[in-house]
Amino acid sequence: MSNSKRMLIFELIRGAAAIGVAMLVALIFIFICSDEPMEALRYMLVAPLFTNGSFSLNSLYIMLANSTPIIFTGLAVCVMFSANQFNLAGEGAVMLGGFVAALTGIYFSTGTYADVFIAVFVGSAVCAVLMIIPALIKVKLNASEMVSSLMINYIIMYVVLHYLNNVFADGSKGSVMTFPFAATARVPALVAGSSKLTWGFVVALICTVIIAFFMYRTRWGYSIRMIGINQNFAKYSGMKVASVIVLSQIIGGFLSGMAGAVEVLGRYDTFLWRDLPGFGWTGVTVAILAKNNPIFIPIAAFFISYLQRGFTLMATYCDVPSEMVDIIQAVIFLFFAAEKFLSGYRQKLVVAAAKEELAQKAAQTATEGGNK
Amino acid sequence: MLEQIGSMIFQTDFVFSIFRITAPILFAALAAVVAEKAGVTNIGLEGIMLFCALFGTLFAYWTQNWFIGVCSAVVVGVFFALLIGFFALQLNTDIILAGIAVNTMSSGGTIFLLYMFTGERGNTAALTSSKLLIPTVEIPILNKIPILGDILSGHAVLTYVAFIMVFLVWILLYKTAIGLKIRAVGENEHAAESVGVNVRFIKYIALAISGVFCGLGGAFMSMYYSQSFNTGIIAGRGFIALAAQAMGQGEPVGAMFSSLLFGFAQALRTKVSGIQGVSSNLISAMPYLVTIIGMVIYAASTMRKVKRRNADKEKNQ
Repeated sequence: MSNSKRMLIFELIRGAAAIGVAMLVALIFIFICSDEPMEALRYMLVAPLFTNGSFSLNSLYIMLANSTPIIFTGLAVCVMFSANQFNLAGEGAVMLGGFVAALTGIYFSTGTYADVFIAVFVGSAVCAVLMIIPALIKVKLNASEMVSSLMINYIIMYVVLHYLNNVFADGSKGSVMTFPFAATARVPALVAGSSKLTWGFVVALICTVIIAFFMYRTRWGYSIRMIGINQNFAKYSGMKVASVIVLSQIIGGFLSGMAGAVEVLGRYDTFLWRDLPGFGWTGVTVAILAKNNPIFIPIAAFFISYLQRGFTLMATYCDVPSEMVDIIQAVIFLFFAAEKFLSGYRQKLVVAAAKEELAQKAAQTATEGGNK
Repeated sequence: MLEQIGSMIFQTDFVFSIFRITAPILFAALAAVVAEKAGVTNIGLEGIMLFCALFGTLFAYWTQNWFIGVCSAVVVGVFFALLIGFFALQLNTDIILAGIAVNTMSSGGTIFLLYMFTGERGNTAALTSSKLLIPTVEIPILNKIPILGDILSGHAVLTYVAFIMVFLVWILLYKTAIGLKIRAVGENEHAAESVGVNVRFIKYIALAISGVFCGLGGAFMSMYYSQSFNTGIIAGRGFIALAAQAMGQGEPVGAMFSSLLFGFAQALRTKVSGIQGVSSNLISAMPYLVTIIGMVIYAASTMRKVKRRNADKEKNQ
């Protein structure tokens, strides 16, 4: 067995163990607070795909729809964290991207099908530009990108709320929202029905492939990963560290903005977010579950959507609040991110591999010796 | 409009409210200061405070005693801070990720635990009564002085504690052996290790202290400021505290002044939200903007200092 294959198997076992621990925690909580724990468990684990014993296609569509924004934010976090930058402004960028895209769809509609592309692009591009701020503060002044990006989230939220309330609100509506955007600016539905699964999901998958190619098959992507692993090494081997870091943050901003734009233009017909939507933070969890590897992001995002839908269904039909999902997500997150979790077992695997190799060599020399 | 605002600022109740609003931010900022001094970035402040806010009210309700409530909040704060420490120091999780995980856990986790323990959904308004809140203190003599008495007397016990803590943290960091070790670990852990300091232990200590402050801050929010628990109660104060720490250059007194700046901006927001032509949203955004600007100015000046020092060195050589 080759070493990389061994490591892959180890990572899979480790992931399964992390999920196992989280499920154990869930089990304990469910048994404490539910009168009918088995029923609650069934809803949590099985109901997202099977209702009344038969496969539910609509439920699958709903989960795919819910995973769309977190695929984008997961990819964004993946690129930004790969450069070892803890930029957390993705959260705000989602809101800003959605808002700007909605405004573009309302006020700059051309009436053609180019509208949706223009709106999504403008929303994403604005966020890409925005991310230059924490990136520059970091590379030029060496001030924490984490703190500045957290502050940017709040600035975005309040500025968006200001414009939403005072400038762009549709006064004829009972609650605060913008005017509806042009029909041509909507992200079209992928399947008929109420699932809200749009072409945005396909775009998310395309982005996944592009980002995976970028990170593992291009010079820039290689530089980003090298800087993340060892910034000094990258610097002394001649990489333009500062520009690469800024580039990685711009890409992250673009993807975060796209998450908001696609979500708003796909799910609603007007902009009505009154608070930060939370997709940015979930994106961090998704990226951690995917081990910062773009190809695994859609799987991780689907896993999170499955978990969330399972808990929602459990809360609807049983006496367990759906908010428990946050605890479970955090537990999985913690164990996935823990480098030393099961490291003893990995050590054993490495030792076993080395021994096997030695034995092989010994056998080889023995047979060679025999031939002589 | 400006006149209107001006006349408001010079009212005693406005200045009083600044101290009230600053106190929880100050607790969290001190938590950030101590942790950061040991080289530990505790981004989990936000989540820890939320858990503390919940358990503060719950224990106060169960024991019908506000003081036990506050103490329990502190214990819970230490527990979660050490949990972050365990994952970061024992299992090599990146400490920022461990903090984010605790934040993720807190938003839904508190609602869930509240339901599990009491059956209440979302808030504890039904559980708290005024005698379970943190009491206020009238300071004798001082409260007889006009203006000054109105501003400084009649605050909650913990408000005074917050400002006293600034002084105590300074003593802890600069006048005690443990403080020296904390600073040494934060400055250069390998150097500290080479002279026999147990780096991991010191980091645990620093995290535990920051947990204590989170406990006090969380209890202040649910047992005095908002008078009951709900999940939106911390509202980014943990993140603001990180900024206050950065803007205050990592020093307790500096963190106090930047916390006061946030307190001022938030007090102003509540005051002006009624005035025509003033956007309370934009004013809410101000302190965050000021923080970034403050950070940039501080970072730029440090940068220049370092450059000058290096230039001097070259000249001397």
